[in-house]
Amino acid sequence: MTSNGAKEALGKLTRRQLMELDTCAHCALCTEYCPVYTETEEPGHAPGVRSSKAVKLYDKQHGLRARILGPKAVTDEEIEDLSDSAFNCTLCGRCMEVCPFGIQTHELWSKVREVVHDLEGTPRNVGMLEEMLEESHNPYGLDPDSRLDWADFTDLEEIPEKDESEVAYFVGCTTAFKGANHEVAFATASILNLLGEEWTLLGEDEWCCGSPLLLAGDEHSAREYAKHNVEVIESKGVKRLITGCSGCYRVFKWEYPKLLGEPLKFEVLHTVEYLLEKLGSGELRPEKTDERVIYHDPCELSRLGGLIEEPREVMAYLTSDWVEFEEHGIDVRCCGGGGLLQAANNEARLAIVKKRLDEAKSLGAEVITSACPSCKLTFVDGARIHGVDIEVLDLVELVARQLDIL
Amino acid sequence: MNGVLDALYAFFVEKLPYVTIAVFFLGVAYRLQRWFSAPKGPDGPPLDWPSAMKYVVLDVVLFRKTYKTDKPMWLVLVLFHIGAGGILFGHMRGFHLWSASMFEFLGHGFAEFMVHTLPVYIGWIFLATQLYLLYRRIRLEGTQLQSLVNDYGALVLLIITSILGQGMRIFPPEAIPPETYSVVFIPNLIVLHLEKVPSHHWFFWHVLFTQLLVMYIPWSKLVHVISGVATSALYGSRRREYDI
Repeated sequence: MTSNGAKEALGKLTRRQLMELDTCAHCALCTEYCPVYTETEEPGHAPGVRSSKAVKLYDKQHGLRARILGPKAVTDEEIEDLSDSAFNCTLCGRCMEVCPFGIQTHELWSKVREVVHDLEGTPRNVGMLEEMLEESHNPYGLDPDSRLDWADFTDLEEIPEKDESEVAYFVGCTTAFKGANHEVAFATASILNLLGEEWTLLGEDEWCCGSPLLLAGDEHSAREYAKHNVEVIESKGVKRLITGCSGCYRVFKWEYPKLLGEPLKFEVLHTVEYLLEKLGSGELRPEKTDERVIYHDPCELSRLGGLIEEPREVMAYLTSDWVEFEEHGIDVRCCGGGGLLQAANNEARLAIVKKRLDEAKSLGAEVITSACPSCKLTFVDGARIHGVDIEVLDLVELVARQLDIL
Repeated sequence: MNGVLDALYAFFVEKLPYVTIAVFFLGVAYRLQRWFSAPKGPDGPPLDWPSAMKYVVLDVVLFRKTYKTDKPMWLVLVLFHIGAGGILFGHMRGFHLWSASMFEFLGHGFAEFMVHTLPVYIGWIFLATQLYLLYRRIRLEGTQLQSLVNDYGALVLLIITSILGQGMRIFPPEAIPPETYSVVFIPNLIVLHLEKVPSHHWFFWHVLFTQLLVMYIPWSKLVHVISGVATSALYGSRRREYDI
């Protein structure tokens, strides 16, 4: 890496992030709460160590010594080392919640990934995601024509693709393309139809929300995706955008305004908020289940998205027998499905989810529910691989099932 | 008394304070320049004062997060910071920013306890917690953390300064010139008034290391004393924006 390239890449750290890196006292109080470190026990995966590595590289190019005597070269080994640290992370933000200084690590580590991306140190598997996105506008490299295949597989009768509609359902790639989540889309569509909502899908015009690009450190491309999706949505006159993916929700709600430099002209709702609205108004009247249910907070919906009480209020309509994980709400422990960990270190992802599933079983849960297709996929994979007997359902599936439409 | 040592001690008191102040403010200027020369980045949440203040009090003053996650460590941190605050406050009496009479309304015995007895215990607690933090850092080094030189630098400097400070208390006072009772660092600005004659050598080395510590603050991890308030305020504003 040329000195200029490294200087420019490391110079992307914002003033707040630089202050945060300088504030990090490397106290290691976050380490025991990092889902990845606690599984791998690799020092480089500890958040505080990542902070040390990042600030060391920054100082090589921008520190006092570099200013006086000139920058020192950043070696390939250092880039690889930082990359290994940055991508062995679920970006769940738990370290932020534990940090005595409230360092906003989710954004900080995302920026470190951006630095790694610019230093050409992105892990191969993560780089492949970017290539697939470029080719097909989804991170799975599947033909955009197949984005609505879930509707065929689930025998959905009405598949609205309208030119104009006040309500749009943004399905999201992990729901649309992953078989384990097809019924999530079906349940959502069925509920919208049951309510007689005038709604539309974006169909093939729906591109990935850009979340994987942000997670891979490619903010530039993510901006292009944001522009495209917002143009399509606004061209349909949409006033309310509903999505069941917590990653898409967080990116639309909190990242798009930053990426585009202006607020969105439509309201962004997670399915959970929409369901709560309809349950509260009495338009939906599900029957309560007798099964013991446990709710797992998706990190991007709760700690990083701001929806913590809403899914619990929905749960109250669905069952009288539900239990909480010890670490829940803002203190939720990631299931392992975040931050593209599956691409970087699937072994760690599966080890992380095992703990979560084991705790659910120890609490007597028969059903584990969440509100995120990545969480569902991780729980399904974990239950299958570790042989854990538990039903995995998204919250919207649970509602649809209790309404007897699934 | 050794002439060289006398000259050195005089330097610690008469000349070094100017260097200390210069290096400290140079460090502050460097740190601010370092931060403000970085790109501003996309607008974060607007500073929400009520929420910012709430989390500064909860997280910086009361160590809420550490209490939630590691109660023994919370106790260490509380004792450490009470020690730091108590020692700092106690020193202000020497600079005539307050006097023992402010405690007299609670009785003379209490005032005596506050200005003469309690500081000794606080000093030991402060030192003990620093040593524990050093032990912990060494124990976790290479497994859970990768310290930078300045992580150790700040802690070691603090430990040396504290040992020298406690040394003044435990070693018997020596015969020193009466003018030492008022130590003029900067005339009419920074003058230390001592009511007891401290142990001579311990005192002057304590003076040196205290100044080294002050110089080091903006250049080291001790900057978190200031920046940690800012990061916690920004965290509080974020929570307000997310309504959590």
